[in-house]
Amino acid sequence: MAASRKTGLMRRDRQTLLVAAVLVIQAVAAMFFVADAIGDLAADGMTRHIAVEAMIAFALMAGVIVGAWHLRVLLAEADRRERALTVARGALADHLSARFRDWGLTTAEAEVALFALKGCDAGEIARLRGAAPGTVRAQLSSIYSKSGVSSQAGLVSLFFDDLL
Amino acid sequence: MEPSTELPRRWDPIVKLTHWGIVAAVIGNALVTEEGSGWHIWVGYGLAALLALRLLWGLVGPREARFGAFPPSLARASRHVGEIGRGEKVRHRSHNPLGALMVYAIWGTLLVVIGSGVAMSGAPPADPSAVRGEHGEGGEGEEHEEASAGPGQWLIAPARADEGGEAGTEDEGEELFEEMHEIAVNLLYLLVALHLAGVAFETRRTGREVLGAMIPGGNRRS
Ligand code: HEM
Ligand code: HEM
Repeated sequence: MAASRKTGLMRRDRQTLLVAAVLVIQAVAAMFFVADAIGDLAADGMTRHIAVEAMIAFALMAGVIVGAWHLRVLLAEADRRERALTVARGALADHLSARFRDWGLTTAEAEVALFALKGCDAGEIARLRGAAPGTVRAQLSSIYSKSGVSSQAGLVSLFFDDLL
Repeated sequence: MEPSTELPRRWDPIVKLTHWGIVAAVIGNALVTEEGSGWHIWVGYGLAALLALRLLWGLVGPREARFGAFPPSLARASRHVGEIGRGEKVRHRSHNPLGALMVYAIWGTLLVVIGSGVAMSGAPPADPSAVRGEHGEGGEGEEHEEASAGPGQWLIAPARADEGGEAGTEDEGEELFEEMHEIAVNLLYLLVALHLAGVAFETRRTGREVLGAMIPGGNRRS
């Protein structure tokens, strides 16, 4: 879950980076085109060729400005989503610890329960906590009985119900 | 699992791309390109475009990139110096007030460098690698103004021409722009040195967040 969230963020980063890079290239191109058009104008005066050039130069500059505006909207949206996600994550964490408190889990049990919710089995939890597998199994069955479920799947579905 | 809506500081891609593009262009024109050569002018125009985009971004960009987020204010800067003296660490969403002064100083100097450079060079040459003749100067009495650039005829910097006793033939305006260009470039070097010292100081004082906000892939939010 953590991994997919990360790649989602990175994909959005890459997207905005791509738009930004195109905008930078557009700005450089516009600068050269405008300078060239002004140079031609100074050298040859107004001709039909230069009128067309000036129009293209104007379109390029307008493109940069509109592109900048568009990118700003894109960034604001990404930022808003990221903040919403952070708030949701914080809210979920608050919700979890409130439920753990309601059930009267000890601190150690609450930590084990969190790992269980993330999908770790007893062996993995024991390794992560540096505890004996027997201890973790005992803690898990205590958690199940306090929360009124009979298995890890039951525990997960309790919170899933809350979310839906 | 501390819920927090305070995301680590990170500059948006336009600020990052224009910053590192400007850094590359300044280093390129200071160390790599021949002074006044076609490539020097091309890189110079590229620099001008990047700066123009950043200034546009200062009007329409996200809040922390806009000019309003880092006003040039001596009062705020001196308050900030006071904070540093008392060891207080206030988080700034944009440039800190001292950094803001530095940013405007660098931008102003870059504008003078660009303005004087463009005034000397005119439009960018169609082929940057073509050898350019001397502009606005008829050195040694030869008429090699605009299109005289024969192969192998490298630009003689007017400064060197001056040493050769040709000061009288120098166009007045051209000389002024050249002087401006040189002075502004040297001022720019000084400001960049101060800028680097400032970044190093701020990184030691408040941690790597300042640097991470600007480097690619820094200050990941996850
Ligand atoms: C930060 C960027 C730049 C740096 C570090 C830089 C540096 C220099 C230096 C050191 C010189 C020699 C000055 C002298 O001693 O006479 C020079 C000359 C020149 N620069 Fe730049 N420059 C920059 C940007 C530009 C730009 C933006 C332009 C124009 C688009 C430009 C056009 C010229 C020209 C035409 C000369 C030749 C002056 C002459 O006739 O001798 N430069 N530059
Ligand atoms: C030619 C050299 C350089 C120039 C002209 C320059 C110029 C600037 C400018 C104008 C800004 C303001 C950015 C903006 O708001 O758009 C800035 C910010 C910054 N620069 Fe540079 N820079 C140079 C080199 C460097 C280098 C080599 C580093 C890295 C060690 C660096 C690190 C930073 C950082 C971290 C910031 C953000 C400061 C903050 O958050 O307030 N700069 N620089």
